[in-house]
Amino acid sequence: MIAEHGCDAPAVALAASDDVVLRAVGIAKHYGVTQALKGVDFEVRASKVTALFGENGAGKSTLMKIMSGVERPTAGHLELDGEIVEFGSINEAAARGIAIIHQELNLCPNLSVRDNLFLGRELRTPLGGVDYARETAVAKELLARLEEDIDPARPVSSLRLGQQQIVEIARALAGDARVMIMDEPTSALSATEVLVLFRIIRELKGNGVAIIYISHHLEEAIQIADDAVVFRDGALVATHSGEGLELPWVVAQMLGGAEIPDRDVSRLFTEVGVALSVRDVEVADTDGSGRLAVDGVSFDVCAGEIVCLFGLMGAGRTELLECLAGRLRAESGTISLNGEAVGSLSIRDRIARGIGLVPEDRQRDGIVQLQSVGVNLSLTTIAALHVPPLLNRADERDRVLAGISEMRVKTSGPEAPIVSLSGGNQQKVVIGKMVLAAPKVLLLDEPTRGIDVGAKAEIYRLLNAQADNGLAVLFATSEIGEALSAATRILVMRKGKVVTEVDPAQADRDSVMAAAGGAAGDLLEAVLA
Amino acid sequence: MTLEVGGVARRPRVNLNALLIEGRAFLALVLAVVIFSLLSPHFLTGDNLILMTRHVAINATVAIGLLMVILNGGIDLSVGSIVGLSGVVSGYLLQGWNIPFTDRTAYLPVWAVVIVSLIVGASIGLVNGFLIARLKIAPFIATLGMLYVARGLALVITNGVTFNDLRGEPQLGNTGFVRYLASRPLGIPMPIWVMGAFAIIFSLLLNRTPFGRWLYATGSNERAAELSGVPVRRVKIWVYVFSGICAAAVGMLLAADLPAATPRGGEFYELNAIAAVVMGGAALSGGRGTVRGTLIGAFLIGFLVDGLVLVGVSVFWQQVIKGAVIILAVAVDQAQQTLHRHRAGAKAVRAASGGPPDPPDRAVTIQQQKVTVT
Amino acid sequence: MTKLLTSVVAAGGLVLVALASPAAASTSVAARPASAGGGEMAIITVDPSNPYWKAEVDTAEAVAAELGYSTTVDAHTNDPDLQNQFVDAAISRGVDAIILDPAGAEESVGAVQRATDAGIPVFLVNAEISEQGIAKSQIISNNAQGAALGAETWVEAMGGEGRYVELFGNPTDNNAQVRSDAYHSVIDQYPDLELLQTETANWDRAEGKTKMELLLSAHPDLQGVIAGNDEMALGAIQALREADRLSEVIVLGFDGNQDAADAVVAGDMVATVLQPIVQGTTLAVQQADTYIRTGETGVADEKQAIDCILITSDNAGLLDNFVLAEAGAEPTASSEDTTPQTSSVTS
Repeated sequence: MIAEHGCDAPAVALAASDDVVLRAVGIAKHYGVTQALKGVDFEVRASKVTALFGENGAGKSTLMKIMSGVERPTAGHLELDGEIVEFGSINEAAARGIAIIHQELNLCPNLSVRDNLFLGRELRTPLGGVDYARETAVAKELLARLEEDIDPARPVSSLRLGQQQIVEIARALAGDARVMIMDEPTSALSATEVLVLFRIIRELKGNGVAIIYISHHLEEAIQIADDAVVFRDGALVATHSGEGLELPWVVAQMLGGAEIPDRDVSRLFTEVGVALSVRDVEVADTDGSGRLAVDGVSFDVCAGEIVCLFGLMGAGRTELLECLAGRLRAESGTISLNGEAVGSLSIRDRIARGIGLVPEDRQRDGIVQLQSVGVNLSLTTIAALHVPPLLNRADERDRVLAGISEMRVKTSGPEAPIVSLSGGNQQKVVIGKMVLAAPKVLLLDEPTRGIDVGAKAEIYRLLNAQADNGLAVLFATSEIGEALSAATRILVMRKGKVVTEVDPAQADRDSVMAAAGGAAGDLLEAVLA
Repeated sequence: MTLEVGGVARRPRVNLNALLIEGRAFLALVLAVVIFSLLSPHFLTGDNLILMTRHVAINATVAIGLLMVILNGGIDLSVGSIVGLSGVVSGYLLQGWNIPFTDRTAYLPVWAVVIVSLIVGASIGLVNGFLIARLKIAPFIATLGMLYVARGLALVITNGVTFNDLRGEPQLGNTGFVRYLASRPLGIPMPIWVMGAFAIIFSLLLNRTPFGRWLYATGSNERAAELSGVPVRRVKIWVYVFSGICAAAVGMLLAADLPAATPRGGEFYELNAIAAVVMGGAALSGGRGTVRGTLIGAFLIGFLVDGLVLVGVSVFWQQVIKGAVIILAVAVDQAQQTLHRHRAGAKAVRAASGGPPDPPDRAVTIQQQKVTVT
Repeated sequence: MTKLLTSVVAAGGLVLVALASPAAASTSVAARPASAGGGEMAIITVDPSNPYWKAEVDTAEAVAAELGYSTTVDAHTNDPDLQNQFVDAAISRGVDAIILDPAGAEESVGAVQRATDAGIPVFLVNAEISEQGIAKSQIISNNAQGAALGAETWVEAMGGEGRYVELFGNPTDNNAQVRSDAYHSVIDQYPDLELLQTETANWDRAEGKTKMELLLSAHPDLQGVIAGNDEMALGAIQALREADRLSEVIVLGFDGNQDAADAVVAGDMVATVLQPIVQGTTLAVQQADTYIRTGETGVADEKQAIDCILITSDNAGLLDNFVLAEAGAEPTASSEDTTPQTSSVTS
């Protein structure tokens, strides 16, 4: 990418302290119009765990991508052992000893565990073929170290998510890394597996490896950290040593003083009427393992409420929302909309009855890329604008323009291609599309992910206004700040169940995070204290 | 038109883009016409143009039906066999249908023959749609299977022979088949009229009905369409039915033209139809394409093939040239899209010092700049 | 909506079944053997949708049934791979004989060899292979002789001069080249006959019509058409009829199929050439039967060329599905290189 801001600061290494292995100096990164990183200085020390905190979009992942060779910085440089380096590719970075365990698993499901472990770095026989025997031996050794009894010949697709994550970790361990970046390594692990991982981390520290640890399980990260660093809006805003690091401080730094409109939480909603009623709903895990992603969930949402499903990855929020929308089948339980059972209806029929979903993944499930803003906005309601047999174009245009203005979409007009809009505006279109269908219950999955602060605020404002008009809103999020400020009621989910219900006005962040993070936090305390 | 809605006012470049793709095919067509008319004095004569357009119309009508399928992201390899099957069914009915279990022979009036043949085409399409939408069989495989089934049925019905006697007898009241379907109202052969009618109908369907919206949405992003309440399965089945109907219409026109209904009729028609659709700017992955573009593509292929014969190019080279033009057309299309993407990216970087900071979305797909004109 | 579609498909399905059933009843895939418990013959032909090969199949089935054999029929459409499949299938079934119309003189040698090695005698009809000593009989019509006959009649009708076009058969079929060469061996002797253009129409009527239309556009003043087979000629005739030039153009065909005979009677076609496919196939099946019973075909030579018969307006009316009704004897097989049998028609 072009060095946009011509940061031609003298390329001289700063004074090296003995134990700084990798240092980022003035790193900035632009994606087109967006500044993902704004001039970050950051260092990692050998034998230390540096924990990175920050909300989605704060820049942590971008920095890690630059440090591991996936991306090139727009400005600034990296220093390895005091020497300026430039990584042209992941392989180059890996060759220099920088390994990364990705948040999204990078395994090939059709290959075996052993093949995945050595993908790209196969062990060779003298003749040049692959030395499967040696690979299998090394694989067994690695897996044993991780206390995982997996047969290296098994195809990765047959493992459950937690085991796949272990394989991903083993892959990073297989190379001889000096810097190990772990991006959300425990999201799919069980409590015991997390303990094993932490033991490995301590071992690696003993071997002089520098570890960067990123996790939304704040308590966990706090326990393991020797140093802590907080990112916000593309900049490094705070540092702290592992000593005396406390959750409230971390959360406060992550959120800063961002303005989120207040909600009058004192209103009682039960008098108005229950819009959505969910009883004992069970949804099977989509990975085909036979386990339940949603394990017996029951709650009500009244008209005018904004209920938040708060939880971390793997809690089952998305599966629950998709089930309510009609995409996933409920194994058991009932779903009622204004008293009428809708559990057997198709997505289309449920939208007609008044319940629709704004999905988590805009690109995959939300926008129709090849079409214009107007077509996207009117997609759900187009049949209603239909004076048979032909469309009423004037009517459609009016509706679309009204939608654009109500949602405050920044666009040159209904004919603009949807892909020319920023993420925030695209999200507004997706929300607007459902809103135009005049639903009674609106479901949103991570509605403000990957969106700038301004657009976020506008979306919250919109939801408030709609709720004031009687719409029942149910949204899922993993951001504590969003949950506390945007919702009238929080349902905390963990591993498929609703574990507690919280009134945002009276809740404190720690207890909410703890409830979401769950038993792992307690166990850790006991073990590591 | 410019619109100032809370921000940057820009003239939409959308229409220009779509026009450029089709425009390129159109330019190629014009180029072909110019070259051939220079090479042969007979190319641009009225009679020859009508003749070539009649050939084009046969392909274009099949291609319009196929366009619907391709817009959905599917493919229909069975259209050629449906052409043959429908011709044979009409032939059989015209020559006298031996009602099973009786000694009687029925001679259906021509309008009934036409309707039955269209229904046969629609049924094959329905089977295709069912296999693909319900049983989730890949379109390539499902329609390949039906290609053989339909062709086989044609052979079974005819017992291998060709039906020659399509003119009918006045006393039986079934003389209209050849007379009307091979007629030339106002001097223009019937297939051209049929092509025009189908073009208008399907163009309206695509641009002016909810079904058209649903089709374009499903072809671009089926998951998003489904979550938005679009009846994706229904759309998927109907496009194959439409494809079958178009092919059936052509089957009858073909039979009336010879006039003979042969079980081998329509063989390999699917290839020319796909070529026409693709050269007209449609994306095989779905969501992009217009009737107008398909017509241009059909004319381009048709005039090219006929022109080569007219000019006397050797038969084998005809094949080579035809294939090369198809590849060239699609390659240029891809190159233009890539170029466009790079230009758009560079433009965004230059505009970095302008508007408010908005985070980007994850990588968008290749077809990002192409939209239909609504 | 789904209900409507379901009823449509149900209607369509009923229609197809209704149409197919009477037709199916008359298809004899396995003809019933006569009371003498005979064996089985595999008939492998090219493409029964062409009346010429249809006659081949029908004759073989009928004669075999008469002699007490059951039969199976397969069509390879000139694809050597398919031919191999069918021959292998016949070998696995252990048939008593294979009646084969081979796909390509070179390409078919292997298949015939395999069958012979497996102890199954092969009898070739209509086309030959490039080696002798493998098949028991190779009965072909003398394409070259026939084509020459046809060409002579056509030249006479053209008055020895004029501009003409040629419709060529499927280039992968040997006979296309054989006939074309034979045509030219006659026509090229006349310097005033000018060949304007040759186009391939793949033995197909529709393609013949399409190509003829374009040829008429390119050469509006053409006066003659020679076609490698009747189907292409019939397509050309339709094109000429639509262009209102049929009465002025002299058309030549080859095969002797019924539609062509009717066209000759009507004066649309000047002549066609009857391939004695019925006689040839009859002989092949008879020789197969003789071989099975006695170990010999009963005929001295393997390669037997039966002469073609010229069909003009004089005798076209006597032609019925590849059999020329006449009081005289049917032509019998003659070895190669002997003088042709006298035909019942003088040209």
